[in-house]
Amino acid sequence: MKTTQQTPKGSKVGAALVIGGGIAGIQAALDLADSGQKVYLLERAPSIGGNMARLDKTFPTNDCSMCILSPKVVECGRHLNIETIAWAELEGVTGTVGNFTARIRRRARYVDSEKCTGCGECATVCPVQMPSEFDAQLGTRKAIFRPCPQAYPNTFVIDKRGRAPCRVGCPAGININGYVALTAMGKFDEALDLILDTVPLPGVLGRVCDHPCESVCHLGTLDAEPVAICAIKRFLADRRRLGGQRRMPQPSQPKEKRQKVAIIGAGPAGLTAARELARKGYQPTIFEAESQPGGMLSWGIPAYRLPREVLHHEIEDILAEGVELQLNCRFGSDITRDELTRRGYKALILAIGAQAGAPLGIENENLEGVYDSIRFLRQVNAGRPVAVGRRVTVIGGGNSAIDAARTALRLGAEQVTIVYRRTRTEMPAIPLEIKAAEEEGVRLELLAAPVRLHGIEGRVSRLECIRMRPGAPDASGRRAPVPVPRSEFFIETDTVISAIGQKVVMPDDPEFQKLQRRHGGTIQARPETCATDIPGVFAIGDAVTGPRSVIEAIAEGRKAAHAVDCYLRGVPFEPLPRVTRDQIVDHPPRADQSERPAPRRSAPELPVEERRRGFTEVEATLSEEDAVAEAQRCLRCAVCSECLACVRFCKAQAIRHDQEDVIEEINVGSIVVVPGFEEYHSTLKYDFGYSRFPDVVSSLEFERILSASGPFGGHVQRPSDGREPGRIAFLQCVGSRDLACRNDYCSSVCCMYAIKEAVIAKEHSRGLDVTIFFMDMRAFGKDFDKYYERARSEYGVRFVRARVSDVRQQNGQLILRYAPDTGGTCEEPFDMVVLSVGLQPPTGVRELASKLGVRTDKHGFMLTDPLNPLHTSRPGIFVGGPASAPKDIPETVVQASGAAAEVARLLSEVRNTLTVKAQFPPERDVSSVPPRIGVFVCHCGINIGGVVNVPAVAEYALTLPHVVHAEHNLYTCSQDTQDHIRAVILEKNINRVVVASCSPRTHEPLFQQTLRQAGLNPHLFVMANIRDQCSWAHLHEPEAATQKARDLVRMAAAKAALTVPLRSSTVPVIRQALVIGGGTAGMTAALAIADQGYHVCLVERDARLGGNLRDLPTGFEDQDLRAMLKNLIAKVKAHANIRVLTETTVVEVQGFVGNFTSKLSNGEEYRHGVAIIATGASEYQPREYLYGEDRRIITQRQLSQQLAAGNFPGLPPACVVMIQCVGSRTAEHPYCSRVCCTRAVKNAAQIKEHHPETEVIILYRDMRTYGFQERHYQRARELGVLFIRFDADRPPILTGGPRLDLSVFEPLLQTELHFHPDLVVLSTGIVSSAEDNDRLAKLFKVPLNDDGFFLEAHAKLRPVEFATEGVYLAGLAHGPKNLSECIAQALAAAARAGTVLAKDEIETSATIAEVLPDRCVACGLCTQICAYNAISLELQRIGKEERVFAKVNPALCKGCGACVAGCRSGALNLAGFSDKQILAEIAQL
Amino acid sequence: MTTETFDANQRDARFKYEVVRQPGGENLLLCYACGTCTAGCPVSQIDPEFNPRKIIRQILLGMRREVLSSPVIWRCAQCHACTAKCPQNVRFREIMRALWQLAVAHGFAPPHMLERIDELARLTHKARRDLVAEFVRNPEAFELLKEKCEHLTQTTDQA
Repeated sequence: MKTTQQTPKGSKVGAALVIGGGIAGIQAALDLADSGQKVYLLERAPSIGGNMARLDKTFPTNDCSMCILSPKVVECGRHLNIETIAWAELEGVTGTVGNFTARIRRRARYVDSEKCTGCGECATVCPVQMPSEFDAQLGTRKAIFRPCPQAYPNTFVIDKRGRAPCRVGCPAGININGYVALTAMGKFDEALDLILDTVPLPGVLGRVCDHPCESVCHLGTLDAEPVAICAIKRFLADRRRLGGQRRMPQPSQPKEKRQKVAIIGAGPAGLTAARELARKGYQPTIFEAESQPGGMLSWGIPAYRLPREVLHHEIEDILAEGVELQLNCRFGSDITRDELTRRGYKALILAIGAQAGAPLGIENENLEGVYDSIRFLRQVNAGRPVAVGRRVTVIGGGNSAIDAARTALRLGAEQVTIVYRRTRTEMPAIPLEIKAAEEEGVRLELLAAPVRLHGIEGRVSRLECIRMRPGAPDASGRRAPVPVPRSEFFIETDTVISAIGQKVVMPDDPEFQKLQRRHGGTIQARPETCATDIPGVFAIGDAVTGPRSVIEAIAEGRKAAHAVDCYLRGVPFEPLPRVTRDQIVDHPPRADQSERPAPRRSAPELPVEERRRGFTEVEATLSEEDAVAEAQRCLRCAVCSECLACVRFCKAQAIRHDQEDVIEEINVGSIVVVPGFEEYHSTLKYDFGYSRFPDVVSSLEFERILSASGPFGGHVQRPSDGREPGRIAFLQCVGSRDLACRNDYCSSVCCMYAIKEAVIAKEHSRGLDVTIFFMDMRAFGKDFDKYYERARSEYGVRFVRARVSDVRQQNGQLILRYAPDTGGTCEEPFDMVVLSVGLQPPTGVRELASKLGVRTDKHGFMLTDPLNPLHTSRPGIFVGGPASAPKDIPETVVQASGAAAEVARLLSEVRNTLTVKAQFPPERDVSSVPPRIGVFVCHCGINIGGVVNVPAVAEYALTLPHVVHAEHNLYTCSQDTQDHIRAVILEKNINRVVVASCSPRTHEPLFQQTLRQAGLNPHLFVMANIRDQCSWAHLHEPEAATQKARDLVRMAAAKAALTVPLRSSTVPVIRQALVIGGGTAGMTAALAIADQGYHVCLVERDARLGGNLRDLPTGFEDQDLRAMLKNLIAKVKAHANIRVLTETTVVEVQGFVGNFTSKLSNGEEYRHGVAIIATGASEYQPREYLYGEDRRIITQRQLSQQLAAGNFPGLPPACVVMIQCVGSRTAEHPYCSRVCCTRAVKNAAQIKEHHPETEVIILYRDMRTYGFQERHYQRARELGVLFIRFDADRPPILTGGPRLDLSVFEPLLQTELHFHPDLVVLSTGIVSSAEDNDRLAKLFKVPLNDDGFFLEAHAKLRPVEFATEGVYLAGLAHGPKNLSECIAQALAAAARAGTVLAKDEIETSATIAEVLPDRCVACGLCTQICAYNAISLELQRIGKEERVFAKVNPALCKGCGACVAGCRSGALNLAGFSDKQILAEIAQL
Repeated sequence: MTTETFDANQRDARFKYEVVRQPGGENLLLCYACGTCTAGCPVSQIDPEFNPRKIIRQILLGMRREVLSSPVIWRCAQCHACTAKCPQNVRFREIMRALWQLAVAHGFAPPHMLERIDELARLTHKARRDLVAEFVRNPEAFELLKEKCEHLTQTTDQA
C-alpha cells in the first residue's frame, strides 16, 4: 500500500477528495485546485465526464453537450494540481474534518497509463465485441475500450470478468474463449496460434477430444446447445493444414538452456512434454518403442475418427520445433537409463502409457478369438488384418469399446454387440460416439455382465452373460450394478473383444521395476511435480493416471515440462497458474433477452452405408461460414478472452494482462461527494413495453440515437428495423411522481429534456411528428417556458396532457392508450416511443454513503439541510448535484462550485500548502541567432504511419530551409519521446520546433511544456496536423496523403522560421471582494469569501440587511427563517473581514479582473479583485383579481405572514381559493417564478392542518412542485386541498361584492364551477428590479436577459459568472429560485471568486491582439467587435504623438482575433498569428 | 364552448371525506387526475360514459347526489386494471365499492339495483336456511362437508 503524504494528526490537510468525475466533480475539482487545494478526483468509470458526456444537446440553448463539456475535461486533465484517479473506488474513510484518510482501490486497467497513448489500435484488433454502456447498449465496444474518443484519461481499459467456464473446464487450460473470439472475427491464423501457444496437436484434439469445455459452456444453460468448440478447433487446424501452410515461425527461443531431456514414449503426453521443453530451450529426445510415433493416437484410435495424415502432420510440426525422435527404441531393453545419463540426458520423463489390456478375469479367457481391445485395435491399425467372423461381441462401455465395435463392423462383421453392465447414461464413452455406433448398426446389451466364455475346439463360440440391475450408489456416485439371480443368457459370437481397462507395462529395467506403484499398477508420481522416487525421473500420462482422455494426457505433458524446467534450473517448484472454479463468471446479460440463441451448426457426416465400407473419416470439417457462425454464438462470458491480440499489436507495449488492483491511502482535509445519478430502470414499468418492444427506448438511449457520435451516427432510426420513424411519442414521468415504483419525487429535468429531444429530433427530420404525453409541464427554469413555447409554436411539437396507460405492439407499430382531458379514451399508433425516465441515485450509492459515514434517505439520496444544502450529515463532507436531489446541469454545477466554497473556507489556512507550480529553466535568448528548426514526425502507432510514409516525410523535412534535425517517432506524445525531444533540442541547439502529428487542441500544450523544459519559449513551436486532417481523411490514398503531409510540414516549417518568443504579462490581484446586495445571497457569498481570508465590502441599498427573507417567516421545510436571518446578519456584522455599508450603492466601476476600483455612493473608492452581484428581485405587485381593492384578496406572502403570526385575523375562513401564476407566465412576464407552486401547497397544507374544516382550493396551470417538493403537493392533496387546473386562455374570473364569486372552467368535467371564497390568495411571481439591474449591468458591462434578470456567461456550465471576468452573480438577480438554491448559488459565486483571489497575480495570455499605433485611426470599430470588452479607445502618448488610440487590455483579451479581422486599417495584430506568418504558410502551397 | 355551470351551493364539500372514511376509499385524495385509470379501463373502452377520472373528480368537487345517483357507477367490472396501473395508488376499484355502499345506504341506488340486491340477500338467506335444514336431517353430510372443507383449507394453505 502506498500513502501519498503524511500530515501530523489533528492538523488540517490542504487537499480535497472529489468523488465522482461527472460535470459536478470536474467543476468542484477545478474550483478547488484553482483556489489553492490539491485535488484527487475519483471516478468509478474508466474516464471522467459522467452522464453529461453521453447527452446530445443541452436545453435551453441546444449547445452540443460534448462540445461544452470537453474543454472542462481537458482543463481538468491537464491541471497540475488535480490528480484524476479513474477506474477506482472508495474503500473507506477515517479521520475527522480537516484531516481524513481515504482508502482508494485503483482497479486494474490492464493497460499501463504511462505508456498508453490512446491510439486505439488494440480496440481495432480485439475480437470481443460488447454492448457499449456509453451508447446505452445500442452500440458496441470491444473488451479493450475507452468510453468515447474524447475520454480522459485517454488510457484504454480491459473489461475482464473472471474466467470463462470453457477455459476452466479444459484440463490443459487452452484459451478457448480467446480462439473462439478470434474465429468469430475471421482471424483464423491468430486463433490457431493461440491454441498452439498452449498445446500441440490441434487437429487431433479437434477430432478425438472429449471436450469437457462444451459440457460447461454457459450457452448450454440458456436452453441452447453449447458452442461447438471442438469442431471450431478442428476447422482452424484443418484450414491451415489443407491450405498447405506450415507453422508460422516461432518467436526466438532462449538458447542458454541446452540441456538434454529424454522422454520415453511418443504418445500425446510425451509429445507435448517434448514440444514444451523444446520451446523452453531444452533438447528433448523422444524414445519410442514402436515403429510409429503417436502412442494410443496411432494404435488405439481408428482412422475413421483420426485420419493418419492429420496425426503425422501434427507430429511433424512438433518435431520441427526442435524435438528429436528415435523410433523402435524400447526403453529398458534397447536403451537404459545409464546409457542415457552417459549420453548427457539430465532428466527423464516416463510417458509410457497403459499399453496392455486388462483381463476379463472370467473362465476360458484364452480361447482363440478373444482379444483385448488394445491388442485388437493395434493389430488393425498396424495394417494386420484380423478375421473377426460374422458376430462380434465387445465388452465395456468406454470409447475403446465403441472404437473396437465400430472397427469390427468395418472389418466385415455383420452383428456387433456391446455388453455393458450399467445403463446407457453411465457409459463413459462420448455420447455422440455411442450414437454413431448405433447408427452404424452396433447393438447395445445394457445391464449385462459377462460370466464365462464357451468355446468349440479352442475357439470362442458364445458368451455367457448375466442380467444386472442398478444397486446402491458406489464411490463414484453411480449406482453399482448388482447381478439379477438366475438371469443368465448367451450371446452367440465369433469374436470377443474386452475393453474394460488398460494396464501399465513397466520398462524392463530393474531400477524402474522398483518404482512405487499404485493399487491399479500405475506409477506413483507426485501429482503436482510429476516427480517419481528416482531423482531426475518424472512420470506422466496414462502410466500415472490410468487411461484418460487425450486432452488430459496433453495437460500432463505441459505440467511435466514445467516441472522438469524447474528441476533443471534448480529453482523451487511453482505450480502452473491454475484457474479455480470460483473464478468462473456468469455469462453477461445479453442485449436482447427476447431472442433465443441461434441453433448450433454441425458438419456433415458420411452416410451410414458408406461408413461401414472402410476407414474413411466419418465427420467432415465445419465450413468457414459455419465455423464463424458457431464462434459468434459464444456469449463472451469473461468479456476479455485474453487472446493477447492487443499485446501483439500495441506498439507502445502498454498492455499488462497481469495488472492487479492497488489499494492506496490518501490524506485530505475535506471530501466532496458528487456521484451523480442513474436513469430509472424502465423495465420495471411493464406496461410501457420497455425491453419487450425494441422501439420503446429510454430518453438516454434516445440521446445516443440523436448524437452524431452515437450508434447510428445521428440518424434518427428505429432500433428494430433501422427505419426512420414518422411518429414519435414521449411518455413523461416514467419512474417519477409514481408511488407504484416508490419514487414519490419529481425528477426535475425530464420535461425539459423531452422537449429538447423532441425539438432536436424535429431538426433531424422536419417531417417527423412528435407528441409529448405529460401531466404537468415543469418548465420552471430560466428561459424554459420560452423554450416550451417555441417547441410548440415554431417546431410544431404536440403536447397532450394525459398519462398513457399502456403501450402495445401491433403490426410493427406501437399503440398507446390514453384518456384526454375532454373525456373518453384514445388509441394512437406511433413508430417509436421514448420513455422520459426519471433520475435516481446510482447503484452502489448506499455502500458509498456507508463508507463515507453519511446518511441517505429511503431512495439513497444523501440527506442535506435546506439551509446548508451542500452539507452531508458528516462534518467536512459535502455533497452536490443529483446525489442529494434530482436536478439539472446548471444547478449541479452551482452546487459543485458551492461545495468547493465550503471546502475552501474550511481549509483556508492550509491553502497552497500541497499544491505545486510548474518549474522551468530560464529561457534561452534566440533573438540574435538564425532559426535552427527541429522536426518531429509522428507515426501515432499506425494511425498516421499506416497511411502516410512517415520516414519519407521526416527525410523530406531535412531538405527544408533552416531544418537542422528531423526524425520520426512511434508516438511523439509518449513520455520517453518528450525526454528525447528535450535532449535533442539541447544537443543540436535547436531553437524552433515543429511537430507533425495530431490536433493542437489536445496536444499543443504538452509539446509547449517540453519546449519550456528545454529552455525555449513555448511559442517557438508549430504543429502540423497530419492525422485528423491527413491520414484519417485520406485513408485509401497513401501516396497523396504522404504528399499532403509533406506540404503540411513545409508550411509549418515556414511559419516556425518566423516565430518569435511571446511573453505573457502578469497583473497583480487585489485580494478583496465587493458584494453588491445584502440579502441572503449577498450575505452568504460575503461570508464564504471572508471565511477564505479575503476582505469583503458588502454594499446594501436599504437601511437593513436581509432582503426578501425579511418578509418570509418559514421555509418550505418549516425552517425558522427569522432565526436563520438573525443569525446570518449577526455573523456578517461580526466578521472581521467584512465591512457592511448600508444605504449605499455603487456609482462607478473601473478596471478589470483582479483590479477593479469602484466608487460608492458615500463617496468612497473601494479597490477589489472581484465583484459579486446579488441584488435580488422583488415580488410582483398584482393589478389583477381585485388586489388592492378588496381586503379579502391577499398575496401568498401575506398569507405566509398571517399563518406565521398564528392565525387569521378573525374567524378562519370557510373557503380559501389560491390562484397560481399571477404575474408569471404572462405576456408581460413570460417565465415561471418557480417558487409559487410550492409556497401555495405549503400554505394550503398548513391551513388544512390547523383548520381542517376550511375548504382550500388551488387553481393552477401546471403544478410545478419539482424535485422533492412533489411530496408537499402530495401532502396537500392528502389533507384534502382541492386542485383545479385552468388554461391560460380561460383564467378564473373573480367578481367582488358582499360575497366574492369566483368562476373557473373545470376541464375534466367541462363545467363552469362557481365558488364563494372568503379569502383569495394570489400566488404572485418574482420580477426583476429592472431599473437597478440595468444600471449595474452598464457599470460592469454585463448583459441582462429580456426579463431584466442578469444573464450568466453560459446557461449550463458558467451559471454564476459573466463573460466579463471577475464579476459573479448570485440569487434572485439571476432569476427566480428558492432559498436553498440561492444559498448554493451564493456559495458557488464565492468559490469562483476564490479562484481569482487565491492568486497573487493573474497571468495574461501571450497570444493576444496588439495595436499598431501608426495605423490606428481610432474609429472604434474594434471596441464594438470585441466580445470581452477588452479594447477601449484611450488618450495615449505613443512616441511623440499623443492622441486617442485603441488599447487592448491584456488581462481581458482572449486572443480570438475578431478585432484583427475587423480592423479596416490593419492596425491590429494577433501575436503568434501575424500576417507575415500566415502568408508565409500560404506561400508554401 | 362551455355549457354547464355548477354552483358552490350545490356542492357537499364533505362528501370526499365521507368516501375516504369508507373501507376502500382511503386513498381517494391522492389522485392527481392523470387519467391512467380511465385510459386503461376496459369498461371505458366500450362505454365512454364510464370515466373513472371524472367520477373521482366529481367526488372531490363534492357532487354527492350526481355521483351516488348516477347509473354509471354500477358499470364497474371490478377488474383491477385501474388499481394496477395507477401511479398514485388511489385504488379506484375499491372506491367504487365504497360508492356502492354509500349509494345503497343512502338510498341512491336505482330501484332495479336495490331489487337485485334484495333478491341476492333473499337467495343467500334461503341457501343458508336450506343448508342448515339439510344438515339437521342428515348429520353425516355435515361431517363429510367439514372434512372436505378442512381438506380444501389444507390444500390452499399449501398452495
